[in-house]
Amino acid sequence: MEFLLEVFTEEMPPSHVKTALSQLGEKFKEELLSRNVDAKKIEIYGTCRRLIIFGDLAPEQKDRKEEIIGPPKAVAFQDDGTPAPAAKGFAKSQGVEVNKLEVIKTDKGEYLGIKKIEKGRPTQNILSEILPSLISSLSFPKMMRWGSSSFRFSRPIKNLLCVVNEKPLSFSVGGVTAGNFTYGHKLQCPKKIKVKTFHEYKVTLRKMRVVVNQEERRRMILSQIERKLASLNARCYPDEELLERLSYDVEYPYIFLGSFPEDYLNLPIEVLSTALREGQRLFSVVKEKKQLPFFLGVADGYRDVKSLIQKGNERVLKARLEDAKFFWTQDQKSGLRNKSKNLGKIVFQEKLGSYEDKTQRMKKIVAYLADKVDAQKIKKQVVQGAELSKVDLLTDMVREFPSLQGKVGGLYAREEGHPAPVWKAVYEHYQPVSMEDESPSSLTGSVLSIADKLDSIVGAVGVGVHVTGSKDPFGLRRNAQGVCKIILDKKFNFSFSRLLGKVMDVYGAKIREPETQVKNYCLEFFANRLRYIYEKQGYRYDLINAVLSAGIDNIYYSFLRVKALDSLKDSPNFEPLILIFKRVNNILRDQPPFRINSGLFVEKDERELYTTFCIIKDNVLPLIKKGDFSQAQRIIFRIKSSINNFFDNVLVMANETRIRRNRLALLQAIYKLLVQVADYSQIVIEGQNLSK
Amino acid sequence: MSIQNLIMNLQKFWTDQGCYLAQPYDLEVGAGTMTPDTFFRVLDKRPWKVAYVQPSRRPTDGRYGENPHRVQKHFQYQVIIKPSPPDIQQVYIKSLVSLGINVQEHDLRFDEDDWESPSIGAWGVGWQVLLDGLEITQFTYFQQAGGIDLSPVPVELTYGLERLEMFLEGKDDIYDLDWSHDVSYQDLRYLEEKEFSEYNFSQADIRSLKESFRLNEREAQQLIDKDLLLPAYDMCLKCSHFFNLLDSRGAISVTERVKMIAEIRTLVSQIAQKYVAREDSS
Repeated sequence: MEFLLEVFTEEMPPSHVKTALSQLGEKFKEELLSRNVDAKKIEIYGTCRRLIIFGDLAPEQKDRKEEIIGPPKAVAFQDDGTPAPAAKGFAKSQGVEVNKLEVIKTDKGEYLGIKKIEKGRPTQNILSEILPSLISSLSFPKMMRWGSSSFRFSRPIKNLLCVVNEKPLSFSVGGVTAGNFTYGHKLQCPKKIKVKTFHEYKVTLRKMRVVVNQEERRRMILSQIERKLASLNARCYPDEELLERLSYDVEYPYIFLGSFPEDYLNLPIEVLSTALREGQRLFSVVKEKKQLPFFLGVADGYRDVKSLIQKGNERVLKARLEDAKFFWTQDQKSGLRNKSKNLGKIVFQEKLGSYEDKTQRMKKIVAYLADKVDAQKIKKQVVQGAELSKVDLLTDMVREFPSLQGKVGGLYAREEGHPAPVWKAVYEHYQPVSMEDESPSSLTGSVLSIADKLDSIVGAVGVGVHVTGSKDPFGLRRNAQGVCKIILDKKFNFSFSRLLGKVMDVYGAKIREPETQVKNYCLEFFANRLRYIYEKQGYRYDLINAVLSAGIDNIYYSFLRVKALDSLKDSPNFEPLILIFKRVNNILRDQPPFRINSGLFVEKDERELYTTFCIIKDNVLPLIKKGDFSQAQRIIFRIKSSINNFFDNVLVMANETRIRRNRLALLQAIYKLLVQVADYSQIVIEGQNLSK
Repeated sequence: MSIQNLIMNLQKFWTDQGCYLAQPYDLEVGAGTMTPDTFFRVLDKRPWKVAYVQPSRRPTDGRYGENPHRVQKHFQYQVIIKPSPPDIQQVYIKSLVSLGINVQEHDLRFDEDDWESPSIGAWGVGWQVLLDGLEITQFTYFQQAGGIDLSPVPVELTYGLERLEMFLEGKDDIYDLDWSHDVSYQDLRYLEEKEFSEYNFSQADIRSLKESFRLNEREAQQLIDKDLLLPAYDMCLKCSHFFNLLDSRGAISVTERVKMIAEIRTLVSQIAQKYVAREDSS
């Protein structure tokens, strides 16, 4: 049975369409499943004005079979074969004659009971129940109200089309009642059409300049681009984000090729491509890695007979490029250093002062960090980079194209003749802006980027900003992930909590929350970001927990520890060790720390354990220090037999206090060593579900 | 079509749609949204339809008459309709057709662009309307003003008259536009741009601006306490303009900026709340 739904709206942002389509698909399938409606096919399509579900569904719900179990067969009949009171009572309670009871076989034997078959209801009845809540349950990054209603959606809903088996299905959502018609392209063919089938819907809409399938629109864009560029023997500068955006933005893509005067090619490619992309959403055209004075635009229509669209866009672009050229020369009239005097006039964060303040802090943080990551030789340059890093916020270029922050400063620094380590530091210090983005290529950029992000995080936490659920107004998560990504990519090996301490020192009195609280919040916050990163990389959650709950003082090492656990998780030694650790952990719970006195060991097995432990410790500590956690782990495995003997033959909780404390002290020392690799108690062993 | 014809066309179009034709407000404002014909009228529950030209001042945008696109004063054509009608997008497109634009030959796009004005505690959801890549209108469904949820929801259309006219005349320089058949934008506005840029950037007296800000702020609070909300709001508009001038003089420090915006917002929120309470009880 064919089913078609179209939610027709005013233009939704592409990001909204994308989330709506994935929600629609998931929720619709879920609803059908929970209501026993089989679906042979469900397809989801969308444009900026339409959310579409097409389905081939069973005409009815599956029948629901129900068995109601009564008394056991053995007691249901009297000796003479007539029904016993138990059977009669049951039949009565169910409102059936006693002779209608059937024998039902169960695991526990034979019972009397009744089998009920609930006939499945027609799917269209089910649909009219589930669709209103399905549509109104969609959530968007930002919702709005319109007219006099309190209904919320991405943009106003203008029409609902719903056809089941060629007939309209009626229901209402947000003040709109569904019918069997829709509309064509907003400008090219805004007429109303009646719809019976999905095929007819697709074909008619296509004639009315609407292509409903997003993949098809994307292919249309790509093939038209190819055709337009064939004569130029050039290619379109790949921009996946822009392509995807545009494939939702238009209902019928038409590609136009335009040009701009060649003198603008003197602008850096970063500026040119941003000027093209932002505002008019144009693609750059390149040939052998060089930008050509052409662009490609995607219009929502099917033709540009008088070249009005092309010419209009060229005019707007020319004005934009003229501005950019003006900014490029104007900004360079006074040097970055001269401009930096005004950094005090722009707010970084209300309670944390200006960008001048931030710059001063970053200078101190990078100097510290350069020492810690063995980058002393670039210390001077990275401090210079820090000094210049935020100056581009004062340039007209960044005011016009905010997404170019950092890059513009770097380009100006390069023009001023600063050496590569300095200008690259500035250029790259916002990277990575996402987990998919690259970390800075330069060492100076990496150090500066960490300092910048950490300054923002510690500062925000220090004045009481907390990230919860969807609330992250300062983008702290993104910043923290950026810091982690750089540390992991660059294999930076340093004490993270001491770095946090340094940042807090640099802030001084501006941090208003108690210092330990800020530090602990930050550590936990970063542990959570690391968890997210490791989970994305596919590591087992319990291994991640084991590593993170043993602390993240050295972020790079935390990664090595996850890797070590992962590589040894299938070793036969792994599970016994975890059991031992859990046992140790349990014994030590709530015990204050004690000291080992080797003279107090009395039993053979405890002396032996102590000796083994000392040898293992001497071997393992250097390995831990240099980050070879797999080897450390392998050596730790060797404690197994000694510790097993200890538990078998020695009573830890001895009556004599001194002896007891000494044994506990030994176990504490072992625990302390092991936990430098992982908190093994967090690891889940098959059949056991001790922790999560 | 000259600018004045463009204005007359829009006036005719929107009065035909049932709008009351307001006259420009007689104080300096940064946008048509800030005038009482929008600010107060969106707060209450009554239907409202209004259209007007509003000269809008943004002192920092001044370029001494030397930039072909940027001016410290421009003209907005503002339309407010409450509740937002279901067919408002088509009506808007018709308004472009009524200006002689053959929309089928162009690329008309509604591009996500949400609007926000922190100093009057207002925000909305909508688009910038792009005509062949040129932004000609801001199209917004108001959600909040003065920190108050608006219900019914008003729709606001703000045409940038100079932008639209540049499209209609196919010109690249704002000063080449025809205001009428024999008066150009240059004739009317060039000297004003030049002199006001000098005033905004160099001559406006910082001390008296700061003092005026304080005086008007104090007066606004006194008027609010006396329930004289419309005069109080005027004082806020003045504060806002003094703030903009101080900003273009580069005379506002980090902490002052935040504080001054918050001060205006606090006053405006009080006015909005009192206004709504008064409307509800009447």
